[in-house]
Amino acid sequence: MLRALQIVFGILVVAFLILPIIAILPLAFTSSVFLTYPIPAYSLRWFEELVSADVWRLSIVNSLIIGGGATVLSTVLGTLAALGLRASSLPFAGLLRTLFLLPMVVPAVVLGVGMQIFLVRLGLASTYPGVIIAHAVLCVPFVVVSVSAALQGIDPAVEKAAMSLGAPPVTVFRRVTLPLAVPGVVSGAVFAFATSLDEVVITLFVAGPNQRTLARQMFSSIRENISPTVAAAALLLIVGTLCLAALAALLRRREKRAVAVP
Amino acid sequence: MSRASVRDRSRAFALVAPLVLFLALFFVWPLWTMVTASVVDDAVTKVLPRTAVAMADWDGSDLPPPAVHGALAEDLRTAQDQQALGEAVRRLNSAVSGFRTLLTRTVTAAREAPDPAALDFAAVDPRWNEPRFWRAIKEAVPPYTDRNLLAALDLRRDAGGSIVAEEPGAAANRIIMLRTFVIAGSVTLACAAIGLPYAMLAAAAGGVMRALLLLAVLVPLWTSLLVRTAAWFILLQQEGLINRTLGSLGIIDAPLPLIFNRLGVIIAMTHVLLPFMVLPIYSVLIAVPRNLMPAAASLGAGPIRAFWRVLLPLAMPGLMSGCLLVFMVAIGYYITPALVGGANDQMISSVIAFYALGTANWGMAGALGLILLAVTLLLYLVYGRLSRSPQLPGA
Amino acid sequence: MGAFIAFQDVTKNFGAVTVVDRLDLQIAKGEFLSLLGPSGSGKTTILMMLAGFERPTSGAILLADKPITHLPPHRRQMGVVFQNYALFPHMTVAENVAFPLEMQRVPRAEITRRVERALDMVRLSPLKDRKPSQLSGGQQQRVALTRALVFEPDVILMDEPLGALDKQLREHMQLEIRDLHRRLGLTIVFVTHDQSEALTMSDRIAVFNAGKVEQIDTPQAVYDRPRTRFVAEFIGETNLVEGKVVEAGAQQAVVRVGETALNVSGEVSPGRDVSLSLRPERIRLGKEPAAANALNVTVADCIYHGDHMRLVLKSGTIELVARAERLAGDWAVGTEAVASFDPQDCTVLAS
Repeated sequence: MLRALQIVFGILVVAFLILPIIAILPLAFTSSVFLTYPIPAYSLRWFEELVSADVWRLSIVNSLIIGGGATVLSTVLGTLAALGLRASSLPFAGLLRTLFLLPMVVPAVVLGVGMQIFLVRLGLASTYPGVIIAHAVLCVPFVVVSVSAALQGIDPAVEKAAMSLGAPPVTVFRRVTLPLAVPGVVSGAVFAFATSLDEVVITLFVAGPNQRTLARQMFSSIRENISPTVAAAALLLIVGTLCLAALAALLRRREKRAVAVP
Repeated sequence: MSRASVRDRSRAFALVAPLVLFLALFFVWPLWTMVTASVVDDAVTKVLPRTAVAMADWDGSDLPPPAVHGALAEDLRTAQDQQALGEAVRRLNSAVSGFRTLLTRTVTAAREAPDPAALDFAAVDPRWNEPRFWRAIKEAVPPYTDRNLLAALDLRRDAGGSIVAEEPGAAANRIIMLRTFVIAGSVTLACAAIGLPYAMLAAAAGGVMRALLLLAVLVPLWTSLLVRTAAWFILLQQEGLINRTLGSLGIIDAPLPLIFNRLGVIIAMTHVLLPFMVLPIYSVLIAVPRNLMPAAASLGAGPIRAFWRVLLPLAMPGLMSGCLLVFMVAIGYYITPALVGGANDQMISSVIAFYALGTANWGMAGALGLILLAVTLLLYLVYGRLSRSPQLPGA
Repeated sequence: MGAFIAFQDVTKNFGAVTVVDRLDLQIAKGEFLSLLGPSGSGKTTILMMLAGFERPTSGAILLADKPITHLPPHRRQMGVVFQNYALFPHMTVAENVAFPLEMQRVPRAEITRRVERALDMVRLSPLKDRKPSQLSGGQQQRVALTRALVFEPDVILMDEPLGALDKQLREHMQLEIRDLHRRLGLTIVFVTHDQSEALTMSDRIAVFNAGKVEQIDTPQAVYDRPRTRFVAEFIGETNLVEGKVVEAGAQQAVVRVGETALNVSGEVSPGRDVSLSLRPERIRLGKEPAAANALNVTVADCIYHGDHMRLVLKSGTIELVARAERLAGDWAVGTEAVASFDPQDCTVLAS
């Protein structure tokens, strides 16, 4: 009885979690202009729309430019900071770590308002550098967390061993620390890119029409006149993020296997 | 301290410094800008600096002394920056309407007068005989104001300067804050009601089952928030999958109103935030030794008693941090209510966005933002204390 | 033989805690020295200072009469074998072993040759392309050892290298390392908290307690003639007996314990209160007195240990534990007997 109840509950929750995401996918292939079931016929017209309509094409290109820029910026800054945080001699390390994680906590709208006022004053509002910087702020925590985790997994004795075997500090970093941290850096970058790809709120505040990203375009499309193009874009995003997630998971597993010392 | 450790320390500093600078410039400073935007009110004082000084000696009753007249005439005569003047006029006009024509006329008069110090204001415009215009200037010259912060809490200062409640017709912010807490609270309860048993199920399951249950939580977490909200938009609409299915099964005659209302917002937000509840509870439960429940049973506790006395207390820390996390994230939500909610389901973030994007009223946006920021940081502080790892799950 | 490695008045503080306290220690070339002590006794810190990972708070460390106190680890030419082996997880076995040779800029071809020869020696050649995580604990141990040896360092430092292995493998590796030491004439400093490991392998043992050396001696001397109560108790099992010196000569003394006078070895002055150490296996139990010291005892308890018995003996206020081989007959509880032991087995401890 209890067992049956558990099974039913489990199935219901899994369905609640997964079905909505799956339900949107077939609608990307509908031939109708309505986002409803049953689907009259299958077609690729909405994908064509996605690449041929200027607003959609531009938004995809923008997402790649801004996501790429924010990923590079946040990965470089976050990786350096994670390496610095690792040194036991750093004072206020706990405080700094908290600062680095805060962009994940502060409500997006609040940060958006501040960013908007600030970037207007700097003359960076509605420019690519402005949007890239704003996105990078949001991406930084993911990189710091990911790289820190990878660095924490390195046994300090391994670096000491390299030193005792004749490697000067720079060589230890290049031949031992860095290769062992790379999976963390890559998965941090993947997280950063996924975060930028999905970001809407800050973009709403700091981007002009020329920096409209895919997520931002989907947002206004749902709000103003929803069409199956949104489903096609959603499919694109799902496939994209799942590929990135798989890549990150793969790297994490490799990293874990590599660091595991019995 | 030895030379080597000084070198270590400066290297660590050099590595951390770029990110610290970056965040100080593009994270802390913007937030600070927002906070100051809500309290800075220097449009008038910038244009009328002499008047501001002269008015300090006037008690605000009746008409100001001649010294104030002279200072105002001099300020207006020398005001060069048209944009700044325009902002000052707008600020004064929003306090007492009529300032636009009044000041335009007076500026011209002050510029043309042979001796501005002796300018007869009442002759330029009889409205200068009314103390309320002078009082409006006096109220607008201090460079800082609590007007926005008070307004955010539906308060204002009356003519005497004491704090009073806004008239019910103009008071909307408290209702919206209350609504924000009600929606966030409902979502938290819904997440706890589903998440706690689900996490227990996942922790108790073995092998493939457990992996599947966890995957079901991680896949939504990994899926774009916008995609998930779009999915709910499509599912919940009048002709959506849910109404269609229920209709064709003969359960309902007319479509249920699922979208643009509170129910839709709570369903969609619960879906989005459920992983944040399940993961903390799961991570606590997975650390509980597997033989604890059998041990409780061997000591004579039935399944229900064992749950109440053993498993639930052990799951409590996870449940608490899950609830805090869900609530903290929920009160700042914007996208989901904006897309699947109706006019009466908009939360504080929507109001902030309205002020900032819709009316460019950065003072009010900043004041409401400050309140939301303070509540969020407070919750985060408690969360950090409770979970001992400031990191959010899923990262 | 002059000192190859010397610690001169070395002190190491971590904050307010003194971990190593004014250490003077000489290690000869080709010697196998074990640093033995409980955890927290400072032995690992001494090894880390020798390897260059920790700097002494004061004092100097010399290698071949040259001070190395401030030399960074990578210029010390010491092979270190760490507790958990510290193999590079992202490199293969062969790459791990080649690493120190690359650091010395040995030509490629020679590296390949030397790595192959070294791996052959420890029978790991078939595994040379595996990653460390694909090896067993014993294999990882051998890789770590090979990596530390391959660049022919002056000194090998080992920090509890066998701690993670099971008992059988540990005993096998002990013999393998001892054999390597003898064959290659290596200088080895070996940190362990396992007394039997130290006794089996070392030329000399330095016993540490709370940052200070308690005794440095050959394994036999440390076991048979412990200088302090700590050494007597830490190494092996012992009977501690309290008494007062009544007569003292050169290396000989008589100590009164309760009603009995015991002949003991050690240099003491008359009138002092002293502790005596007497190893259980040195007590011979019989019906008649058989040595300079002979006590009439009663068997109070008898504990079965498979290959031997442990007997608790009582003589007035004195209680002794003796070890009796299974062949030495049965000693039922309550039996009256005589416990005999030689003066040189009954050592006076420095208090």
